[in-house]
Amino acid sequence: MDSKSVMNAITSKFPDIHFVFRESDIRITGRVRAAKVVEVCQYLKEEVEFGHLCCEFGVDYPERNEIEVVYVIGSYEHPVILTMKAILPRDNPEIESVVPVYWNANWYERETHELFGVQYLNHPDLRPLVLTEELYGEWPLRKDYEGFPNKTARNLV
Amino acid sequence: MMHLEDILINPLLRAILGLCLMGVVFGGACVVIWFERKLSADIQQRYGPMRVGPHGLLQLVADAIKLFTKEDIIPKNADKLLFVSAPILLLGSVFLMLVAMPFGAIIINGETYVIAATEMDISVLYIEAMSAISIIGIFMVAYSANNKYSVLGAFRNFARMIGYEVPLGICIVSVAIMAGSLNIVEIAEAQSPLWFAIKQPIGFAVFFIALMADMGRLPFDQNESEEELIAGVITEYSSMRFGYVFFAEYIHLILGSMLAVLLFLGGWNLPAALTSNTILGIILPTAFFLGKVVLVILAVIMVRWAIPRYRIDQVVDLSWKRLLPLALLNLGWVIALGLLGV
Amino acid sequence: MDETVKPSEMIVHLGPQHPMMPGPFRLNAKLKGETVVDSEVDIGWIHKGIEKILENKTYLQGITIVDRICYLAAITNEEAYVGCVEKLAGIEVPERSQYIRVIVEELSRIQSHILGMGEYASFLGFVSMFMYTIRDREDLMSLIDSITGARITHSFLRFGGVKQDLPDNFANDVKYVFGNIRKAVDQYEELYATDRIYKARTVGIGVVDADTAKDLGVSGPPLRATGVAFDIRKDEPYLVYNDLDFKVCTHTDGDVYARIQVRLDEIRESMYIIEQCLDQIPSGPLFPEGTAYGRRTPIMRVPAGEVFHRVEDPRGEMGFYMVSDGSDKPYRVKVRGPVYPTLQTLPGLLKGVPVADIVAIAGSMDTCTSEVDR
Repeated sequence: MDSKSVMNAITSKFPDIHFVFRESDIRITGRVRAAKVVEVCQYLKEEVEFGHLCCEFGVDYPERNEIEVVYVIGSYEHPVILTMKAILPRDNPEIESVVPVYWNANWYERETHELFGVQYLNHPDLRPLVLTEELYGEWPLRKDYEGFPNKTARNLV
Repeated sequence: MMHLEDILINPLLRAILGLCLMGVVFGGACVVIWFERKLSADIQQRYGPMRVGPHGLLQLVADAIKLFTKEDIIPKNADKLLFVSAPILLLGSVFLMLVAMPFGAIIINGETYVIAATEMDISVLYIEAMSAISIIGIFMVAYSANNKYSVLGAFRNFARMIGYEVPLGICIVSVAIMAGSLNIVEIAEAQSPLWFAIKQPIGFAVFFIALMADMGRLPFDQNESEEELIAGVITEYSSMRFGYVFFAEYIHLILGSMLAVLLFLGGWNLPAALTSNTILGIILPTAFFLGKVVLVILAVIMVRWAIPRYRIDQVVDLSWKRLLPLALLNLGWVIALGLLGV
Repeated sequence: MDETVKPSEMIVHLGPQHPMMPGPFRLNAKLKGETVVDSEVDIGWIHKGIEKILENKTYLQGITIVDRICYLAAITNEEAYVGCVEKLAGIEVPERSQYIRVIVEELSRIQSHILGMGEYASFLGFVSMFMYTIRDREDLMSLIDSITGARITHSFLRFGGVKQDLPDNFANDVKYVFGNIRKAVDQYEELYATDRIYKARTVGIGVVDADTAKDLGVSGPPLRATGVAFDIRKDEPYLVYNDLDFKVCTHTDGDVYARIQVRLDEIRESMYIIEQCLDQIPSGPLFPEGTAYGRRTPIMRVPAGEVFHRVEDPRGEMGFYMVSDGSDKPYRVKVRGPVYPTLQTLPGLLKGVPVADIVAIAGSMDTCTSEVDR
């Protein structure tokens, strides 16, 4: 299946997701509402053969007061890669966890949580992954992180 | 003028002879350690120790100095008495083995005088029993070190030792039946025309494998496998305590090879024509015997560096399901040969 | 993992410093006798904050930093990063540079696989095999050294081309080295296939079937060993892989033995690819003509946009997602390491397995902890 048929399949079920092409004809991007993420992912995995979550991470936009959670979803059967973005408010970013659909999202979400502060609802085990416990709550990858250079491994451990 | 027999029977002189043999074995262990390092380096296409002394001969001296000058760490929660005395027990069991082991023979005028610290009627049984004392040492190490890795290593050790003592014992029994005595000197001399390795080949193969397992050499060194258990049973030992255990292992290697040569490979037997001359009679049998021991040590070392390591349940599998039936088969074969009068 | 222990159980920390795994990570295992009841993987001991660092460095400075994400196969990290920037800025790489890139990447793949196999043999106690692989790897490192100037962490790629051309007499060197490597790989295969103890330790251990592997998100040799022919060089060709003829190596068993076999086969395929490249390589410029891109372009502004570029790392699928806002530093770079999902699956694979097999299974995934933690 190429990207056109994929786009048709998705917009037929979720008509409010608007897709654009990216740098080549096998890359498509779309925005999804935060409340519908799990539903869309379930549909993608079962109907449209997108079974491979490449990665999931966050991007911080302080001037727009938003945090974007980006899902990059690929497939084992066809080379189309779908990038889905969910826009969350920066003060209270909360979103449903997609772990029931994609098993390997577990560690991606733990990392996004400790680096950006995004709260994942219904995550099986939301704990810090790569950071130490002293840095929890600092959300280091946000653009307004002030802790460097006073809070590094050299000072903490 | 004391006769040679009087000299040999005097207990004080025997004790001095025993101490000399201890020194010889220590020196032998040093040489074997150097030999192993060089041989393993050759198998792996590298040089091995080259700098300390010509071709690394003094490397062991440097290592010993390092071990002596290191700090001796005893963990806080360790059982001090057991921790300190366990290596002594390990080393002691090996030296007890040495007491009854003949190191060679001197043949003068057709009379054989054995170089051994004692001569017992049941020396083979005694040697086996003494080598099994080391299990207690290992248990002491594991219990006193208060360390999970040591405990895991000790469990594996028990499983291995229990599994391999049985085929080992059965092979020794079959040798004793064929020779008609438990005295190791008589067993060695009973191999005059034909070695026992040729008369009971299965027994020799089983004995060799069980011996390697008994000594704790690869492929059976699960108790000290570095990858899973850091250093296994001896994780908590530093400085010379580790040196004790290390030495005990190599002395056990030498004595085990001697046992293999005496029981199966003919001991010091030579055709009578060669030993008629007095000078040759003094040198040749011992040299021949030690030459064979060196070959067995070489084989054991080369096997260690050539193959990977078994998992512990596969090791136990091997001993109970394969070695034990073969050893019993060998026993039956020996009894049949004895009944047929061969 | 539940920390409560019943009377016959014991928790063992195969701790951050361990002779077992490359790189520090901790495996807490709850053991009952010699069987693993439950386990848990802790990472974070080598977290360097590369994603935050890259936001404060210019694009050219980023090349040296990206090198160090996974130092065992550094050139594929650079390729993913440089590929992202080239897609954003619309830079066309000339053909000669593309061929040189393919050559260096395949050489890096060969040496990484040889090292992975050798390290794995040393985990099983087969130390001599480890020494043999190190000996054979030295020739490859000299080759890579002669092209890029460094054995690992090359910093070889630039935007629009490569740093320098192939040295003279390269084709003869390659022929000589590959003769040795072919003999060596045949020798390894024979040693592995005829060694009973090795087979007893690897056949039937850590079996993963194709659907589970796809479900868990595994990629690279562990996935190809289950029979799924997923290789980015074929599915989404980048550089000149469209013009090269090679096959994707798969195996059907899915156990540890199959993973090592897949790596052995891939070494042979990579050698074949490099020989084809040396036949087909055209002469020409290293950097695109008529543009400012060359060996020295320190400050460049990249047009705003977002792009995701992925390459086939020796360990799996490596991807970079780059967000640029039009300035001379990236706005956000997300590094998708190949072993990140594979390491997650370890607790599931280790249930009910004897302790000695922990090393066998974890080592066959060929993890490089540095790219898990970044």
